[in-house]
Amino acid sequence: MLKEILRIINREGYISIVSIAKELNISGQLVEDGVKQLVRMCYILEEKTGEDCSTFCGNCPFAKNCSKEIVKTYNISDKGINFLKK
Amino acid sequence: MSSGTIALVGNPNSGKTTFFNALTGSNQYVGNWPGVTVEKKEGSFTYRGKEYHVVDLPGTYSLGAFSEDEIVARDYILTGNPDVIINVIDASNVERNLYLTTQLLEMGKRVVIALNMVDEAKRRDIEFDIQGLSKRLNLPVVPTIASKEKGIEDIIKVAIQVMEKKPPVKSPLKYNEVIEHHINHMEEVLKGENLPYPLRWTALKIIEGDREVIKKLNKSILNQKAINYIKDFFKYHSSGDFELEIIDARYAFAHSIVDGTINRPEEDVITITDKIDKIFTNKYLGVPIFAIIMLIVFQLTFALGQDTLGGVVAYLVEGLGSLIESFLLGINAPGWLIAFMIEGVINGVGTVIEFVPIITVLYLLLGFLEDSGYMARAAYVWDDLMRKLGLQGKAFISMIIGFGCNVPGIMSARTLDNKKDKMITILINPFMSCGAKLPIYSVFIAAFFPNHGGLILFSLYTFGIIVGLILAKIYSKTLFKGESSYFIMELPPYRIPTIKNVLRNMWDNVYGFIKRAGTTIFVVITLLWVLAVLPASAQPYGEFSILGRIGAFLAPIFKLAGFGTWQESVALFAGIPAKEAVIGTLGMLYASEYVEEGALLVNAIRQHFTSLTTLSYMAMTLLYTPCVATLGIIKKETNSYKWMIYMALSSFVIGWIVAVLIFQIGSLLGFS
Repeated sequence: MLKEILRIINREGYISIVSIAKELNISGQLVEDGVKQLVRMCYILEEKTGEDCSTFCGNCPFAKNCSKEIVKTYNISDKGINFLKK
Repeated sequence: MSSGTIALVGNPNSGKTTFFNALTGSNQYVGNWPGVTVEKKEGSFTYRGKEYHVVDLPGTYSLGAFSEDEIVARDYILTGNPDVIINVIDASNVERNLYLTTQLLEMGKRVVIALNMVDEAKRRDIEFDIQGLSKRLNLPVVPTIASKEKGIEDIIKVAIQVMEKKPPVKSPLKYNEVIEHHINHMEEVLKGENLPYPLRWTALKIIEGDREVIKKLNKSILNQKAINYIKDFFKYHSSGDFELEIIDARYAFAHSIVDGTINRPEEDVITITDKIDKIFTNKYLGVPIFAIIMLIVFQLTFALGQDTLGGVVAYLVEGLGSLIESFLLGINAPGWLIAFMIEGVINGVGTVIEFVPIITVLYLLLGFLEDSGYMARAAYVWDDLMRKLGLQGKAFISMIIGFGCNVPGIMSARTLDNKKDKMITILINPFMSCGAKLPIYSVFIAAFFPNHGGLILFSLYTFGIIVGLILAKIYSKTLFKGESSYFIMELPPYRIPTIKNVLRNMWDNVYGFIKRAGTTIFVVITLLWVLAVLPASAQPYGEFSILGRIGAFLAPIFKLAGFGTWQESVALFAGIPAKEAVIGTLGMLYASEYVEEGALLVNAIRQHFTSLTTLSYMAMTLLYTPCVATLGIIKKETNSYKWMIYMALSSFVIGWIVAVLIFQIGSLLGFS
């Protein structure tokens, strides 16, 4: 399952829990677990689009907006890419 | 005295707590697991005259070593020696829950399955072959509804039988040949060692690369030969891929168990998300749809924020001004104080505050789009276009953040590894129109284009994006060549936005806007007011005041762009500390000029500008030197004063060129 999820993510260029679940005929929760496992094992890396302002300009009036994550993004790591090449 | 200990294990939301309550009733006590903050719940029940001890382990999806809950549950199962484990499984999500079950089986413990919440599963038309499940798992499976205390006695009976008579079941899960080969070898090496855990499980965990287990074994338990063997193993094999294979095998095993024993009704093949996405993320329609949505957002922003609500705050600010003036006159306050409060604070800072409604509506609508899941689609549809321009699609996310404030927009580029992507993302972000510029556009639009507010606003934001994209292309061909890195977005299902999230997003922005008006803008306006009324010999707010002289010095720069008066020039420079100060400065300088006629800033703007110079002024405002905070973050993120100065100067030149082009071409075409 994890290998398939990784391949689909690489093929599609995005992560849609719904469409992966549909393609693999498994539940969305299972796909979510799979993505978490891939992140944990560093095959894909979760990125933070929002940035915590606590280290900088803590008094900035817009500080709360800095930590806002509009879109969740990931990267396939070198480990993931090497695995996909196998 | 207890006749045996039962451990409850299960995923979060499997109904385990309800199960524990049903099992133990009021015979419960709560403590903490030693050394951690995880709650330890214990209880007991009596069955056929014998008392049994129950330990409710923390809810967890797996028994790795990645959270305190997992470690507590795992350690207790392995070293606490419960006599039997009841694995509580959510009957609606059996396959997911079985991942944990496979790990329990690998630990070589006595396990009984409580297929819980079967009523809920049946309501969802899920059918079970309980015997089939039991056979494939080689474990007893008992259907339960803990909330109604159904099946509790059955499972107690089965658990006690297993506890008293049955030996632990061997896991039916077999890994591929290579992994089994390594497990067997590892078992050979570990055999005879005084292991705290079962032999095969320990061997498997080492192959899986479980650091907690390896650390524990290395400390004092293993002999040097075994330690060397493990070290050599990891020297020649990457544990990562074994880990993936092992986890994948567990999922495959779980799938093989439910395949044919659990029948779920076919879910809608095409979801609402699919239907919407077919259009919204279409290769050709995606970007135009984004443009239409944003146009609607700006139309609504102007219609509600300016036309409907705009006058209310303006009325309140003016009313407040009158009250303050009356009060100060009443207490015989000095003239300079009255002038400062009315012409400086009310006409300056107050003018900025008047735009709170428009900011409120814009961020309310943008928050709605964000929370609905649409913004992820917007970033996705732009990804293709961005790549063609030699830029990573993620830069668009930074651009969207930049619509609120350029500082976090630039900071979001931190996550980009690729220097090229990072630098280009940073350098184009200031061209995204931030919230602070909105009051400037609003007042000019109200003066000259009141019937096309949304369209003008949309055009300005779009123009900022276009300039950013053109520069991105130029930078990727000149200063920052090379390949863009790759990234993946998560497209969440569409959802109805929650009022809480939308309002919070709106408030964060409105609060920021008001706070800035009361701090940075106040300081800037105060400073400018002092410069505008000094020296005492000059007419206040006149061209011979200090501010007037500075403005007169700067004004020729903007002559070609059509707005070369000293007030307009000074206002632009006042915008460098904070963009809202542009409108605050104009408010202060013009209102004092027209104060006798009681003219509003909008009327003053009409007398000083034409529709053409309005356009060139707004374009200049959109593109010219970013605010000090943005320049500061550019310095910080690029770690270079060079790029900060480059940004300050290049954006000024770009803004100036565009403003001049608009004015000159417009003049040639006969627009005035």
